[in-house]
Amino acid sequence: MKTTSLFHLLFIVFLSCLWPSVLLATDNSECMDCHSDEGLTREAAGDVSLSRMSDQLFLDNDKFHLSVHHLNEISCVDCHSDIEELNYDNEIPHKAHLEPVNCTACHEAEGEAFSQSVHMEIRGKGITMQCYACHGYHYVKRLASASVAERENLFCLKCHNADNYHDWLPQKQAHFAFVECTVCHAPTVPSHIHLNFYDLVTNKFFNGNQIIEALGIGFDEFLPLIDTNKDNIINTNEFEDLLLILRQKNIYTEVHAELVVELEPILHNVIKGGSTNECEKCHSADSPLFDAVAIVLTLEDGSAEHYEVEKDVLNSFSMSSFSALGGTRVKFLDKIGLLVILGGICGAGGHLFIRLVTAPLRRRNKENEQDS
Amino acid sequence: MANEKMIYIHPAPVRVWHWVNAACFVLLVITGFQIRFAGTLGLMPLKDAINIHNYIGFLTIANYSIWLYYYFSTGKIKIYFPNPKTFIGNAIKQIQYYGFGIFLGKPNPHVMTPENKFNALQQKAYAALMFVFVPAQMITGVFMWQLKTYSNYIDQLGGIKVIDTIHVILFFFFASFLVIHCYLATLGHTPLAHFKAMFTGYEEHH
Repeated sequence: MKTTSLFHLLFIVFLSCLWPSVLLATDNSECMDCHSDEGLTREAAGDVSLSRMSDQLFLDNDKFHLSVHHLNEISCVDCHSDIEELNYDNEIPHKAHLEPVNCTACHEAEGEAFSQSVHMEIRGKGITMQCYACHGYHYVKRLASASVAERENLFCLKCHNADNYHDWLPQKQAHFAFVECTVCHAPTVPSHIHLNFYDLVTNKFFNGNQIIEALGIGFDEFLPLIDTNKDNIINTNEFEDLLLILRQKNIYTEVHAELVVELEPILHNVIKGGSTNECEKCHSADSPLFDAVAIVLTLEDGSAEHYEVEKDVLNSFSMSSFSALGGTRVKFLDKIGLLVILGGICGAGGHLFIRLVTAPLRRRNKENEQDS
Repeated sequence: MANEKMIYIHPAPVRVWHWVNAACFVLLVITGFQIRFAGTLGLMPLKDAINIHNYIGFLTIANYSIWLYYYFSTGKIKIYFPNPKTFIGNAIKQIQYYGFGIFLGKPNPHVMTPENKFNALQQKAYAALMFVFVPAQMITGVFMWQLKTYSNYIDQLGGIKVIDTIHVILFFFFASFLVIHCYLATLGHTPLAHFKAMFTGYEEHH
């Protein structure tokens, strides 16, 4: 009996320790009881300063489940931290007007980079740009596997019409299609080349699972299967073998290359006037932009598995849809070109030389003809 | 001079076309080298090289169109097509001349006339040049001028690498052709005879 009493006592002490957090921890499901209602909207605020960008208070739970915050087990009240408790006696169980979410409470480095950016500078012009202007509210997805078009459409092109400001840029549409805006406009951020597999049958990109399933392996077995010399980097021969294996598995693909930035906090440091318009900085064989190349197998949650690839793959005919002047030229062609030009010069020079050497012979023949 | 006869071989439209084309080719080759070897050569900024290359490229296409129209509308286009019955024999004679006879001072087996100004080898070479290589270079050049606009055609032809390779190989060929063409132009009865004729229109016959 004594032991049982002690156990009960300890249990009560344990519960009492938990009490404040049990009280405060509002489960997401409680929020969704109301916010899954598509008709839930905010009442128009009498005070215009309390108005928000949207009156809608509905939250699509399916989309939210794929958001990076949900995947990282961030709950509603972790962001909406001014909700301390829910009082169901009231029509609205929490404050009607919540404080704006402070993203930098968690994303400190991103906030620091942003504070030095042109997007912060525009506050001097009376324009306030909040994180959610680019990232949205509740459906922030992982971007590691996003294409250049997705990254641009989700962010920069919401406000900027790139077409209006790049007339100086040769092949501007090709640059927009293959190079993420921030490669140039946040030039301190490292970048790399993404290689994706494009399905020539359906005209869509293959996701990682499709590739892995077709190969009949797991993600862990992908590199060991392809990297036959076990140096942890896929060289041109191994890359061509991969394409052959995929063809044997009825995967008819074209490898699509894009230049994207690393998703690091410094990415938020978009600066005005920091981009270059010197073509040679990118379009030369020793440009660092082409140093890092990776096959990207995308996952449903927006994350991606990267597999390092030798930069020489970009110069090969396996990359039929990607060519950057100077940067990824097929160097074998230069050797052929050198031979063709040298052949022309040597042919003409050799013929001229023989003409000069045989000039006395022709002169003698002409004199003989005139004598006869 | 008594045995010299001046024959009007190159009409004015052909001469204008030729020199415009020559200037365009030289500029295209120079800017082409700068574009191809942007990180190594420093003749001009890459952006300028690309812009000049594009403008000159379109001038070359316009000039080619004038050439095509002139030769077809006047019927002179037939000078590019050898007689199949005599071609092989004439070609062999011409090869023998360039490879041997010219060094001995033998006369050129081909006698230039307004109706037949090219020898058998020139006919074959220029037909390939004007009907295959130049059009291929122009088409691939236009595709590469606006990659996104012509992406469907580019993809159907095997992708940008294939288009680029055709354009680059032809570029090297044309660079080499310029050297050989200028050298062969010195093979008249004097080194400058053919050059003068391409300005005046008159070739001297001996």
